[in-house]
Amino acid sequence: MTHASRAGVKVSSMADRKKMSVAEILAAARAQKAGGGESSPPAESEPASAADNAAETTAAASSEVAAAEAPAAPAAATPAVAKGGARPSVAEIMKLARQKAAAEAPAEAAPAKPAAKAAAPKPAAAKASGDKPAAPKMAAMPRDTASILAAARAGAKPGPVSKADAPASAKPQAKPAAKEKPAGRPVPPKPTRPTPTLKKAAAEDRRGFLSVAMGSFMAVGFSALSVTGGLFSLGLARFLFPNVLAEPPSRFKVGFKEAFPTGKVETKFVAQYGVWVVNSEFQGVEQIYALKTVCTHLGCTPNWLEAEQKFKCPCHGSGFYKDGVNFEGPAPRPLERYAINVSDDGQLEVDKSRTFQEELGQWADPASFVTA
Amino acid sequence: MHSNELFLKDVAGFLGGYYAAIAIMNGIAALILWQRKHQPVWAVIWTTFACVMMVLGSLALSGSEATVPSLPESVRNLVNTLSGPVNYTVGTTVLLVGFFVYRKFFVQPMVAWSLFNVALLLMGLSMADQNFALIVMKADNVPIVGLVFLLAFFTWVATKQAVVNDERMLRGEPPIEKVNDEKVLVWPDLVYTELICMIAVTAFLLAWAILLPAPLEEPASSVKTPNPSKAPWYFLGLQEMLVYFDPWYAGVVLPSLVIFGLMALPYIDFNKKGNGYYTIAERKFAYLTFQFGFLELWITLIILGTFLRGPNWNFFGPFEYWSPYKVEVLNNVDLPQMFWIGLFDRPLPLAAADSPWYVQIGTILLREAPGLILVGAYLVLLPPLMAVTIFRRYYAKMGLIRYMVMANLMLLMLSLPLKMILRWTVNLKYIVSIPEISLNF
Repeated sequence: MTHASRAGVKVSSMADRKKMSVAEILAAARAQKAGGGESSPPAESEPASAADNAAETTAAASSEVAAAEAPAAPAAATPAVAKGGARPSVAEIMKLARQKAAAEAPAEAAPAKPAAKAAAPKPAAAKASGDKPAAPKMAAMPRDTASILAAARAGAKPGPVSKADAPASAKPQAKPAAKEKPAGRPVPPKPTRPTPTLKKAAAEDRRGFLSVAMGSFMAVGFSALSVTGGLFSLGLARFLFPNVLAEPPSRFKVGFKEAFPTGKVETKFVAQYGVWVVNSEFQGVEQIYALKTVCTHLGCTPNWLEAEQKFKCPCHGSGFYKDGVNFEGPAPRPLERYAINVSDDGQLEVDKSRTFQEELGQWADPASFVTA
Repeated sequence: MHSNELFLKDVAGFLGGYYAAIAIMNGIAALILWQRKHQPVWAVIWTTFACVMMVLGSLALSGSEATVPSLPESVRNLVNTLSGPVNYTVGTTVLLVGFFVYRKFFVQPMVAWSLFNVALLLMGLSMADQNFALIVMKADNVPIVGLVFLLAFFTWVATKQAVVNDERMLRGEPPIEKVNDEKVLVWPDLVYTELICMIAVTAFLLAWAILLPAPLEEPASSVKTPNPSKAPWYFLGLQEMLVYFDPWYAGVVLPSLVIFGLMALPYIDFNKKGNGYYTIAERKFAYLTFQFGFLELWITLIILGTFLRGPNWNFFGPFEYWSPYKVEVLNNVDLPQMFWIGLFDRPLPLAAADSPWYVQIGTILLREAPGLILVGAYLVLLPPLMAVTIFRRYYAKMGLIRYMVMANLMLLMLSLPLKMILRWTVNLKYIVSIPEISLNF
């Protein structure tokens, strides 16, 4: 219904009064309509726009709802409805239509047709009558919207079928245009029309061809897609096992023991391997160990500050002693150690595949250090 | 000091323009006030101020150390020594509380304009300091400086409207929004405004991107962390929180609680007033809680993280050189260590490595008993205690479940400042510290 009232607003109030609240505009529009104001459109257009509006409503419901509205158009035109009074709402229109249809139901669909015909001369009703053939069906149909919609969706067409409708329902629905022309005026006895069957066959053929063509295109397309998809998966699997690994080995030699004098924190392996090799005391024992350069708080890389003899993280200020034990900032546990051992040639070898955590008591493991 | 002269030569042009802009702004303000005729005194004051700004601008343009207007060395040193996380947090809190208590005074346009001018003048004087300018004029930080002023402005506007409404309602009049409830249409009024804003902002951003290029750095490396390493500005409050908490709590639990808490607000809030208009008097609790969480626990932390945290995440005064070698003693200990070692002078309970699992778990629980009891009491005992004391009225109105949700959200929000205070005062690291399963609180 907003459609109709908006049209009224456009005609009358929008032009001269600009800064009214929406509520005021709507109220004014309604008042004007109700009073049959001089600037409002002719009264017949009201049901027309109602039907028009209903025809615009959403997909599945549209045809059935419009069908319900079609009888409403003449109904509104009859004196039974107070014409000058308040505009009937959709619910009222539909109720009226249903009552009327129900009253006419025993007399089959035939009486329903003249009613629609009476409305036909008006252009508005003619527009609505595009959906008219469905109208009589309303009579025997369930009354509430939900079941109407359900019926529409199910494609069920219950109820008696009028003469005019009989060929329509027999024919496929693809030809509403052919039916639309005779709908308005009295239907003369139809001459035999050979063309529809021909056309129908042609359409069937065309569609059949299309469906076969489309089907085969789709089949080809999807086959191609699945083949390329399979190839892509294979390629991806191959990609996961590259010929050359660019990352440094997890086991590497860092030099002889003599290169790590007491108290020294060797930082030259950080950039490539992410490890500090430290010669320092831990719990009174001098050890050489490899510390992982990952802060135990959030994983940033701390810096070794020689002057302050501590590792300091730039992200949240965690600090670690030379032995890797946390003492300031938010880090909850000591730095982790990598496995270290003396290899066959006497060089120290760090193994990054194993880590040792102090809080789990793993620093006692002889693999986590080399006695200096 | 040679470098300082070079710096002043560099910055002279900008400072000259800066002071000129302040002068023009005040000139326009004076002109408007003069034409309105009811505040001629202020018009004269702002004209005089504009003249002073012009003089300062011309002095700044000279670019020599003797003449460029700046804060005296002693003042800068004093500010540096006074600034620290504790003083900063306490200071901003006092400032915000002061603004709130005397809001009727601060919402007066002339007072706000004076404060704005003082802030701009202080900025100008400070920018003659190399260390200050280096941080504030960094391409990253320029928008944050702008945002600080923008936020102050919007807070001021909202407070002003609330104060006006509160006074009206005190006189028995409806709030101003209910009087002027004229509605406009979305199309065209709103959509046109939005379109124009969109175009203007796009043009502004284009100009900005050209004038202040993004500060790109070298390619990232997993073994090299920039020092200091900073989150995007909007996460700097979170980064500051992470200084005091374990990542799972400050990075996961607290932010999620913020989101869930905001989602729960409509269900917790039983106050039907303040719907569709600004007011403080009618919603004091809601207003204060929100402003505490937003301005105090988020915005001031962003400012702290942006401008005052330097290399190694140390705190630096606004005029201090960001030295990566600054030494700060920040040693801290966990509560179990305080309790067992400090109080009873005995080692932490430690199960032998080969003892069965239940002994191990029992020992950990014993070790963490003080912290667990404390946290449990905080979250379990405090809500009912508050229900019968300070929140008696709220409890009666809200019912058990809504009250418990509200109380726990509040307590968890307060856990942030509480933990910060504990860190500053007694060097407490974690109340519960179970590194064995990475659970620290």
